[in-house]
Amino acid sequence: MAGDVEEYLRPGVKTPFCPGCADRILVRLILRAIAELKIDIDKMLFVSGIGCAAWIPSPHFNADTLHTLHGRAIAFATGAKLFNPELITMVVSGDGDLAAIGGNHLIHAARRNTDLTVICVNNMVYGMTGGQVSPATPMGIFTSTTVEGNRERPFDLCKLVAAAGAEYVARYSVGQPSPLVSSIKKGIETSGFSFIEVISPCHIQFGRRNRLDTAAETLKFFAGKCLMKDEAEGLSPEELGDKIITGEFSNGRDQAD
Amino acid sequence: MAWKEVRSALPPGNYYYSGNEAAAEGAIAAGCRYYGGYPITPSSEIMEWIAVRFREVGGVFIQMEDEIASLSSVIGASWAGAKAMTATSGPGFSLMQEGIGYAAMTETPIVIVDIQRAGPATGQATRVGGGDIMQAKWGSQGDYPVIAISPWSVQEMYDQTINAFNLAERYRVPVILLAEQAVGHLRERMDVREKIAIFNRRKEKGAAPFGGGDDGVPPMPAFGEGEKLLVTGSSHDDYGLRKVADPLVQARLTARLHNKIVNNREEIIEYEDYYAEDADVIVIAYGFTARSSLFAVERLRREGKKVGMIKLKTIWPFADTLTRDVGSRAKKIFVPEMNRGQIAGEIMKYTCCDIIPYNQTDGEIIHPTTIMGELRRLL
Amino acid sequence: MGEIKQIRLCGLGGQGIVLGGTILGHAGINDGKWVAGSSSYGAEARGSACRSEVIISDEPIIFPHVTRPDILIAMSQEAYDKYIKDMGRDEETVIYDEQMVCTKEISGLRQLGFPAGNVATKELENKLVANVVILGIVAEVTRIVSQDALLSAIEKNVPERFKALNLRAAELGLALGRAKK
Repeated sequence: MAGDVEEYLRPGVKTPFCPGCADRILVRLILRAIAELKIDIDKMLFVSGIGCAAWIPSPHFNADTLHTLHGRAIAFATGAKLFNPELITMVVSGDGDLAAIGGNHLIHAARRNTDLTVICVNNMVYGMTGGQVSPATPMGIFTSTTVEGNRERPFDLCKLVAAAGAEYVARYSVGQPSPLVSSIKKGIETSGFSFIEVISPCHIQFGRRNRLDTAAETLKFFAGKCLMKDEAEGLSPEELGDKIITGEFSNGRDQAD
Repeated sequence: MAWKEVRSALPPGNYYYSGNEAAAEGAIAAGCRYYGGYPITPSSEIMEWIAVRFREVGGVFIQMEDEIASLSSVIGASWAGAKAMTATSGPGFSLMQEGIGYAAMTETPIVIVDIQRAGPATGQATRVGGGDIMQAKWGSQGDYPVIAISPWSVQEMYDQTINAFNLAERYRVPVILLAEQAVGHLRERMDVREKIAIFNRRKEKGAAPFGGGDDGVPPMPAFGEGEKLLVTGSSHDDYGLRKVADPLVQARLTARLHNKIVNNREEIIEYEDYYAEDADVIVIAYGFTARSSLFAVERLRREGKKVGMIKLKTIWPFADTLTRDVGSRAKKIFVPEMNRGQIAGEIMKYTCCDIIPYNQTDGEIIHPTTIMGELRRLL
Repeated sequence: MGEIKQIRLCGLGGQGIVLGGTILGHAGINDGKWVAGSSSYGAEARGSACRSEVIISDEPIIFPHVTRPDILIAMSQEAYDKYIKDMGRDEETVIYDEQMVCTKEISGLRQLGFPAGNVATKELENKLVANVVILGIVAEVTRIVSQDALLSAIEKNVPERFKALNLRAAELGLALGRAKK
């Protein structure tokens, strides 16, 4: 398996990610999905915005990569994809990038159902800039700009994007590698807008401010929070609490809920 | 080199077009096949014309959700191999600034048509202005190169849009057609020749896409060609690999970006000289104001007055050598502008000659009689 | 020096003043002339004062706006009152819609009224083509554009389904012009 993805990694690149960063896992999971689909990576284009997640494809992936402006990855990708529809185009960026500064581009690309696969790497903070609150930060969480705990409600990104008209919408955690890889494969194979939210915790900026002192503790904390969709069915709001529901939320436009 | 002659998209002949329509046709003639836009007065006719004509010539048109997205999509399309453009006016041009800086840093050939209206802010949307001159040069953060052109007629809206694409492709740089509402909405006779010369970006398999070369302009591959491109707006080495703390890489990149334009400026800069050779008072003007100025200068010449005019066709890079030369032989330089003296200030950088700015920012064009009156006082 | 003619069309938004200017300019191009045209109107699309200008010249045009009109075409009272002041007193021509405009007595000006709107309404049952009736009159009376050039400009500038109507309007205008001479 490892051999499969190794050839998709750009030679000589030293990863900039912190030891224990979940994005290191995601680098390999995205490539594994591509390897399993046996796609010639030279036919792919990876577009990213600004932030840690944007560095997943650029420079790690040995393919065409477009590392763009903060929030604009989807708009750049739209131009490239429309002009050359042969390019299998994937956007990889963070929650702050895609949902705050880039939120308008996200919902409009979903509305147009542009044939892009968007991987939203959700670490629930602005990691690279020092751990500020993001539109995906859960309530009560401490960040460098919510010193008394976050008082704003986060977006349910999957609901938002599904409502805007995306063809395929799913959420998984890096701790659920097998369904996540199949989901990325489905996203790539879907002709239309695919959105996969990946819970990819940051133990440096998120974990340590919230008494999760190590990468392992942070991962474990999120593993305990993630519930598969069918497990969540029938649970009361109290029972659900702050659980993160994972699974597919839209697979084909008609099923959008 | 990569110059070639092609048949013009329109059959040769005389047309009665608006400046905006002419810019759209110039783009199509130059080979533009991607347009991402957003509606804004007084530039929307460009987008509307493209939306119709791209169906005939086979281009990709999309109306995006805002001007930031428009320009972002244009840059993405350019890297996918397109000659790509957008058009806008003041408020939209402001939103595009981050994209312009990105295009300059990533050496992406793109064309932006800015149909200037009266500002600042929303100002007067249907009225003329010329206040975006400095914004075109300095609007995005950091030092970066651009080329900006000022057309004065419908014919030049067509010719200079073709030129804008040629310059963008030749130098891998964003090119801004800094037009004014008075030219965008003007209708005039436009002559279309049978053949036009166009330049297509140079390609070289395996060459460093950010490495420069003899003239500082590297070849540009497209996505999907197997080059495994690294394109980033962060500082990068010759192959596009991010280097965000290396002073040498940063110094080399920023110097090359600047020098590839400045060192080739004699090839880029165009101007026209009207009666300036023996003139005591020389008008330096551009865009619509150059037409009012020429009208005034010709009237005064008929009275035997020694006045002349230099019409700047290229605004950026600025015609520094020309300005020095004009300043050394004129007694006075008169600079009428539809802004508060943006080019007059630039001229002052290069000559100690007596500079007399004339600034009109009432949303109206500067009339020839106004210029004639001012010139009479100076003579 | 070749000939240069400056024409100003004015009226209300919705009367087809801008289209009238475009057709006239296009006709000039068809005659092989140099032409420049511009227009100004309020932000409202309908009912506000509206002006369109055309310069038709044997030589390239340096300043493309009208400085002193040779011909004023007035389709509303408000527009007439506003722009009559710019006219010289050297036998310049004013052509107006006589149902819409009451003229002032001014010496040195040739002011000619025609029932353009009336003819459009009665003969064509469409008062919106009064602008094209006027163009026919202007072509016949002033000869700034040829008849063929005008008709072909109309064909190029109006939608297919209104072509026959507009060509008929121009013919009626040409006939009105001939009758007056």
